[in-house]
Amino acid sequence: METKIKWETGLTKALERAKEEGKPVFLDFFNPQ
Amino acid sequence: MDAVTYPDQKVSEFINSNVIPLRVPSDQKPISVDFNVQWTPALVILDQNGKEHHRTVGFMGTGELIPSILLGIGNAHFDNGQFQEAIDCYAKIINQYPESDSVQEAIFQTGVSRYKSTHNPMPLKEAYEKLNAEYPSGQWAKRAYPYRLI
Repeated sequence: METKIKWETGLTKALERAKEEGKPVFLDFFNPQ
Repeated sequence: MDAVTYPDQKVSEFINSNVIPLRVPSDQKPISVDFNVQWTPALVILDQNGKEHHRTVGFMGTGELIPSILLGIGNAHFDNGQFQEAIDCYAKIINQYPESDSVQEAIFQTGVSRYKSTHNPMPLKEAYEKLNAEYPSGQWAKRAYPYRLI
């Protein structure tokens, strides 16, 4: 079964999780078009 | 990335386990301006305070993305003075992804991290010798060239 990436969509929430879980953030700026 | 790299099971499991994944459209303001995004995909590793430590621009396939993220995590540790943690990340690249484009920088950074944590210059020379032996025309062998004199 395929595992999907659990993307965050906002920097504030991502940094909150990063501090809680002791992990860095992987930020992907993608082309929306 | 959506068609090939991110659906890969090893890639998605690695990302979910090792980083907080954040996806933002490249035209979203103010974040795209704050990070000066000019082309996509722009893949950035941030520490827990939001400070950037590593960036790549352009497509990355399944064989390159995991070692590239490991390099970014290692560089974040390095920039924060956590040299053993950095060395551990670089070792994973060298041992598990020896064919990746990230391996040369990992070898260089291992030498620098070992030097900064011990003040013994020999790891710098060892890094040069390994790079010169295995990747003699690579940019990291050139950057390490002065260390041959140690």
